[in-house]
Amino acid sequence: MSKTRWLILLLGFIGCWSAASAQDVVLVANQGVRISEIGAADLRAIFIGTKTRFADGSHAVPVTLKGGPVHEVFLKNHVGESPDQFRAQWRKAVFTGQGAMPRAFDSESALIEYVAATPGAVGYASRISPQDKVKCLAAVK
Amino acid sequence: MARRMPLFVLVCICTGSLYAQDLAGIEIHGFVTQSFLFSSNNNYLTMQSSTGSLQWTDGAVSVSDSLTDKLRVGIQLHMYQLGELGGSNVQIDWASGDYRVNDHFGFRGGKVKTVLGLFNDSQDVDAIFLWILLPQSIYQIDNKSFLLSHVGGEVYGELPLGSRAGKLQYRGYAGQATLDLTGGYVKQFADAGLVFTTAPGGKVYGGDLRWEAPLKGLTLGSTAHIEALDGTAPAGSIHVPPFQINAEYAQFQKGKFYFAGEYWRVPLNAILTIGPAVIPVPVDARSWYAMGSYRFSEKLHLGSYYSHLVNKAGDTTQPGNYSKDWVVSGRYDFNAYFYGKIEGHFLHGTGLGYYNSTNPNGLKPNSNMLAARIGFSF
Repeated sequence: MSKTRWLILLLGFIGCWSAASAQDVVLVANQGVRISEIGAADLRAIFIGTKTRFADGSHAVPVTLKGGPVHEVFLKNHVGESPDQFRAQWRKAVFTGQGAMPRAFDSESALIEYVAATPGAVGYASRISPQDKVKCLAAVK
Repeated sequence: MARRMPLFVLVCICTGSLYAQDLAGIEIHGFVTQSFLFSSNNNYLTMQSSTGSLQWTDGAVSVSDSLTDKLRVGIQLHMYQLGELGGSNVQIDWASGDYRVNDHFGFRGGKVKTVLGLFNDSQDVDAIFLWILLPQSIYQIDNKSFLLSHVGGEVYGELPLGSRAGKLQYRGYAGQATLDLTGGYVKQFADAGLVFTTAPGGKVYGGDLRWEAPLKGLTLGSTAHIEALDGTAPAGSIHVPPFQINAEYAQFQKGKFYFAGEYWRVPLNAILTIGPAVIPVPVDARSWYAMGSYRFSEKLHLGSYYSHLVNKAGDTTQPGNYSKDWVVSGRYDFNAYFYGKIEGHFLHGTGLGYYNSTNPNGLKPNSNMLAARIGFSF
């Protein structure tokens, strides 16, 4: 693994235990997920439904918040869409029989709790604490 | 007509408490819309639109469940009323099992939506569009059942072409399609004396290739669709030998801007038999549209398109053989679930959307229309 990737990973882990900056969110995954970093293209593809597996081949279960600034920042930074574009894309998939919308949560705590309990789950939060039984994923270009 | 509004309100209230219910993995979603149409001259889409009509309601409920990581099953029930078309009968919009082997290959079986051009499979999902009416030269709302879905299956997947070449999405399908007995074509046949009691249908097959270009937001694609149609009524029959529809399309989204365009060619030779009379009906429809829109804010979205159809098999100087439509549209999202739309149409030609039974005094070549809609989706 290159030095750059190690650096990105290290920064990702540091970010997990502290508040995320206002410009980004913390990516969280179930502790059973074997990868520790995820490519930007893979992350986007998982959240728009064109990819259902992580790079290691295991099943990915994307989850989202129902709305709010953390949701908006995640979509803008990691999916490249606005909330309405994201919603429209999933509505199209749902109402044409081509996909199932990611489970959405009212609060970050509910999302983290679900991610902790669901194999393959991946989501985001503004911050996590050491008590949260989830792992942090680093997004790499 | 008036009873449609209470129905709309009732559905909104009931579904408002559902909000995309997820009952132990089972997902339930739905939508309902109520529209109003007023036209300056002719009556459009079997409605009494020249005096203003509310007879335009649409709704659907879908239920799906992921049985395993790879297998998902679901069904969507759909009901619509469009003037004299549709009615109170609930139809199965799609019902399928979807087995996704991996991200490059999957297949669906059952009743599945037919991919054809940019919007054929999603044309009923009003909540995702700015427009009240999609370009009618291609997505004719009164005749959509002809191409909308088929009983059979499809294979689908995505192939990465490398970081500099984008991605290729493919879909191939085959099955049997039938006309909606309450739809526009069957009504036109009935107006001509051919009353079908069993739905005409035929085999369909085809494929779609969609290239997501390395330029972010740009999609180019092409569909080839082959279909045949046969039906027998007490007074005669319809026979359409296999014909091929070719569709080419492009869309580009950048920031708050969206642009799209399509070109379709539909050449067919229908043969109507009514009693002893055998009537050939040649069609060579050339259709295209170009659309653009801009999202002024999260709630306000405005746009315009031009839609053009001409039947080259007929006398193209006659209004009945062409339809040209300039459209301006606006949409306002009250929240993530409720929205309203308003749309103006400036129609030239009578080649689409008009019926003799609702225009007994004949048609004027031009008409302006105002459409408004409220919608709810969860």
